[in-house]
Amino acid sequence: MAADLGEIEAMIEAALPGASVEVIDETGSGDHLAATVVAPQFAGLSRIDQHRLVKAAVKARFEDGTIHALSIKTEPRG
Amino acid sequence: MADAELKQKVEELIAANPILLFMKGTPEMPRCGFSMRVVQVLDTMDVEYGAVDVLPALQPLREVTTEISDWQTFPQLYVNGELLGGADIVEEMFDSGELAEALGVEQPEAAPAQGAPSQSPPLQIE
Repeated sequence: MAADLGEIEAMIEAALPGASVEVIDETGSGDHLAATVVAPQFAGLSRIDQHRLVKAAVKARFEDGTIHALSIKTEPRG
Repeated sequence: MADAELKQKVEELIAANPILLFMKGTPEMPRCGFSMRVVQVLDTMDVEYGAVDVLPALQPLREVTTEISDWQTFPQLYVNGELLGGADIVEEMFDSGELAEALGVEQPEAAPAQGAPSQSPPLQIE
């Protein structure tokens, strides 16, 4: 069951309004994804907290087994 | 619900070790590429750190760290009692110099060893 990259992006954008999100399929298998997220909400947060926000946004897709791994790169936008 | 006894042991370890890495395998023999990347960064920083192999009790430890730090995946690097991050964050912070600051050491000049075959000297066209 491959993840719908557009849906994953939409979930992150919904959780972080105003964010720029790009999700790619790292391995071609559809379950190891990499997300780059630039969001104003990250300002002042530690990286771990920035990653927690992204993970929380897509939690449902981890829990139903759609995604096995998500590598995350975050950047605050001032 | 995490095992209470194990959770207490983990909390004690985190409190007792200013730099503590939960990893798959050991620093000498990492059993996962992500764990190896963090070990390489820490070795480059030339800091002393404690390391816990999570493989013998992977699922119970996952439950414990989920409760302690809201984080399920390994490796996990704790610095002064706080979860700093996994491989992605540690490498990013190393590159930016934030890791050296968090660990209270000087940023080393060399990049971490990559394990890849070493490159040939630059070729020159005469």
